[in-house]
Amino acid sequence: MNIKKYYLAARNTWDETLAYRLNFVMWRVRMVLTLLTMYFLWSALLLPGGNILGYTREFMLTYILGTSIINSLVISNRSYEVGEEINNGNLSNFLLRPINYFLYQFSRDLGDKAMNIVFSFVELTILFIILAPPIFIQTDSSLLALTFFSCLLALTMYFFLNFLLGLIGFWSPDVWAPRFVFITVLTFFSGGLFPLDILPKPIFSILEFFPFPYLLFFPLKIYLGQLVMAEIIKGIMISSTWIFVLWFIVKFAWARGLRLYTAYGR
Amino acid sequence: MDSIEVKGLKKYYKVQKKEAGLAASILSFVNRKYEEVKAVDGISFKIDEGELVGFIGPNGAGKTTTLKCLSGLLYPTAGEIKVLGYTPFSRKTNFLKQIALVMGQRNQLWWDLPPIETFILNKEIYEIPDDKFKKTLDALVSLLDVTDILKTPVKKLSLGQRMKCEFIASVLHSPRVLFLDEPTLGLDVVMQKTLREFIKEYNKQYKATILLTSHYMRDVEALCRRVIIINHGKLLFDGKLSDLVKRHAPYRIVKLTLQKNIDESLMRGLGEIKSFTYPQVVISVPYRRISDVSAKILKDLAVQDLIIEEPEIEDIIREIFEKGKS
Repeated sequence: MNIKKYYLAARNTWDETLAYRLNFVMWRVRMVLTLLTMYFLWSALLLPGGNILGYTREFMLTYILGTSIINSLVISNRSYEVGEEINNGNLSNFLLRPINYFLYQFSRDLGDKAMNIVFSFVELTILFIILAPPIFIQTDSSLLALTFFSCLLALTMYFFLNFLLGLIGFWSPDVWAPRFVFITVLTFFSGGLFPLDILPKPIFSILEFFPFPYLLFFPLKIYLGQLVMAEIIKGIMISSTWIFVLWFIVKFAWARGLRLYTAYGR
Repeated sequence: MDSIEVKGLKKYYKVQKKEAGLAASILSFVNRKYEEVKAVDGISFKIDEGELVGFIGPNGAGKTTTLKCLSGLLYPTAGEIKVLGYTPFSRKTNFLKQIALVMGQRNQLWWDLPPIETFILNKEIYEIPDDKFKKTLDALVSLLDVTDILKTPVKKLSLGQRMKCEFIASVLHSPRVLFLDEPTLGLDVVMQKTLREFIKEYNKQYKATILLTSHYMRDVEALCRRVIIINHGKLLFDGKLSDLVKRHAPYRIVKLTLQKNIDESLMRGLGEIKSFTYPQVVISVPYRRISDVSAKILKDLAVQDLIIEEPEIEDIIREIFEKGKS
């Protein structure tokens, strides 16, 4: 397999984003503002030495800042295009050429993420120097490695989910609404708003078998050192299983969808 | 060797019907209404390697749908297709590397980036060797005269410039089978001619099989010896362009310029009078009577000028379509 075409797809994504200078700058400003808002809100709610729902101020702030960092890593910004491209017929361009559309989108996504990481890194460094927030720093390298690994799983899982949502385009012209509902549900159940373990125990233990907690909550809990090894392994097993399941669903839906594809417009 | 073989191809679409408005959308969500459209309804033909065939039909005849089936974009409802021995819908890499579909209204260029970026991406996608890529690109760029726009973002290009770049992007990998859907759409007369010559040359040089649709009969006349005519998804004619004229238009058009005004009734016996606005007369005369009639005209009428023409291809085709309607 020629990997270079996928590298080029990722690189062109950079070029494309950078082509809109003002858009790009504004987007970064928005990221920083969101982060600052979250930070000031929670640091005002939590007084030093305070404790909320079993989380100390330091841990809660780390959790909240952590979600926005991991969010920018895991959430794919690009694959929403899939549904649009099916409906406006642009998908034809990829079907006609010897390129794997799935890998193409994944490379574009990675290109996008690489960009996020580079700029987030610069911005965060500046913010840390200015604000010096009370943040919990994990020093255990094996936990850091596991956090990173679980982020990779989350990223893959999220991509599959998002791609799958895009494939709805084969069956329905309305891809935006299901996506919107899904994203809202996802933000809640992935722990994007608060740590999931403050939910009642029965709900949380059901939730554990869904893919959502493994997108944000799980990597952060590993980072915070609040999970024992058995729990970490269990989580990795569950999310890997989901990745396999989703992979098969994507493959199946793609094959079925193509039969319905009408290559409208173009 | 057959390059393209189509047997009983059918493609039916289910098209959703919905009134405008949100309420209708909700209703349609609960109770969806579909209508079946028979875009292609049982077409069969064969095309030899190296043939250049014109594919003709009015809007919505099923031309584009057929081309999309042939290039593997659409899953046929029924029938069998072989292109270069492959089943298009399986979209095997070796198949895709040997074909191209150029559509006058398609966009494969990256909108925000200069065309050269798309060309380079295609080089990698099709795994074209460096030297071959450079040679082909140089040839295409100078032929289509786009040297100075290669580095301009696509969104800033004019329709014609974009079309030329789309064309280059589509044939960079030297496909053996080319499907051209309205390739001259939006081009000026000079560019149309250049592109026509390019298609002709490409066909000759690479022994490429080309199937071409166009609304400009000039394109078809200049390029294709064979034409396939379809309407309402059904095949109406498949054969040489010259046979089409012979079979469907066994008459000639005689154009006269009279020296002095005469009564129309004097010319009734000559043939069917298409128009008479003194001094011009246009008469349609059956092919086998043409020499008699012209002799008679020269003898009996005072004419300044006499022209005998083959009927326009466009007229013949219009007649075929109109006959199909009734």
